[in-house]
Amino acid sequence: MKQLLLFSSQFGAKIVLNPELVLERSKRYYLVSERLKKLARGNFYAAGLYLGKIKNGVFFPSFNLLNMLVDVAENKVILDKKAAWLFICGRDVFRTGIMRVYGARGKGAFTLVLNDFGECLGFGRIIHSLDDEDARVVIQNVLDVGDFLRREK
Amino acid sequence: MAISRLLEKFLFTVKQFRLMSGRDFFINRYLQLGWEFRGIKARQAIRINQTNAKGKSILERLLSVGVKLEKIPFLDSGYWVSGSKVSVGATAEYLLGLYSVQEAAAQIPPALFSDLKGKTVLDACAAPGGKTVEVSDLMGNTGVVVALDVSKKRLAALANHLERCHFSNAVVYNMDARSASKLNLKFDKILLDAPCSGNFASDPFWFKRRTLKDVERNSALQKELLCEAEKCLVPGGELIYSTCSLEPEENELNMDWAVKNLNLQIKEINCYGEKGLTDVFGQTLDPSVAYCRRMWPGLTQGFFVCKLTKRGG
Repeated sequence: MKQLLLFSSQFGAKIVLNPELVLERSKRYYLVSERLKKLARGNFYAAGLYLGKIKNGVFFPSFNLLNMLVDVAENKVILDKKAAWLFICGRDVFRTGIMRVYGARGKGAFTLVLNDFGECLGFGRIIHSLDDEDARVVIQNVLDVGDFLRREK
Repeated sequence: MAISRLLEKFLFTVKQFRLMSGRDFFINRYLQLGWEFRGIKARQAIRINQTNAKGKSILERLLSVGVKLEKIPFLDSGYWVSGSKVSVGATAEYLLGLYSVQEAAAQIPPALFSDLKGKTVLDACAAPGGKTVEVSDLMGNTGVVVALDVSKKRLAALANHLERCHFSNAVVYNMDARSASKLNLKFDKILLDAPCSGNFASDPFWFKRRTLKDVERNSALQKELLCEAEKCLVPGGELIYSTCSLEPEENELNMDWAVKNLNLQIKEINCYGEKGLTDVFGQTLDPSVAYCRRMWPGLTQGFFVCKLTKRGG
């Protein structure tokens, strides 16, 4: 739970979750409703909204969590169609593919990556200032929705 | 002596296999049931996830990336893929959970439930989760879906499916649906998309793989699943039974058995497909079996669906 909130804060987002409705199973975290909580017995495989998992002490967010952050996060970039497609194919982001920037622009910050419909495609880490006109690749892809295809292979 | 007896047994098994399997054997069976065999391959179809796609021009978006769709006349949210420059299972819209890739007939069973919102639903043999997601979508992400599957490996696909489509009303168990009553829950609705022998339209090697023995084994398993489902259903509750098998042992004969041995009755449904068979290889079945729907391969893959309710509601 602490790691989940820490992760969210990297995007300048504060999310409020009722700890009583966050269930843990095999180091995976789920947000459930009161009704679902009554039905989710100890040995469930998955329940409610999957939020993410902790592996080797590192928090790995789910796409549900990233979606929850879209409305509250400060750091977001919106990509054009071509850059959005390349991003979900696992590629990094070129400065020329960014249509709009919200929040952090400096090196080292984490930012949500959205398409031009405002849908969350994943997140990345800024590796060159977004104001650096000489830089080509400015955001390193950390996680993108193409992961759904990769993880089933 | 023992070796000759073993050899005799082996030869008998081979003979039986030859007698009760193979393309001609099954095609002849279909002919006896009134359908003339045509080699048909199921068409690829998608289902728009209405909960996620609300207010989004999903059809235009797909057209802009080269996916041509054709509305399926007997489904509310189903479209056939009539041409595509890209894989429909790899577009941004798919990865964002705006639609699912789901064969036309497979979209029918969840749509047969009445009034799903806020209900407690059991998806008894849920993986890989196409119908679980459809049920969640039809429920508008309200109520609770309890999804069970005996294969833990296949549950990973189900969990991915739920995450991709952002549904939050399901709890998933790695559990054999024949033990569903151990959950001590009663369900308003149960979807029993039973494990079955499949059909040739969705498996090009089907005729080589299947024998009547498989069909009989699956039929017995399906009866056990029906018994358990009936135990978990509230009086008046709805049970949708479906298979993608064309064999009457897994379909009409099981439904005939269910109305005669369980506290269930068959309800009339209005969906694509032909009436259920009531005369199967000379055996006359309960007349209500005609309310089932049998889909011979054509516009869809081979499929069978039936809606039952528990008496006493």
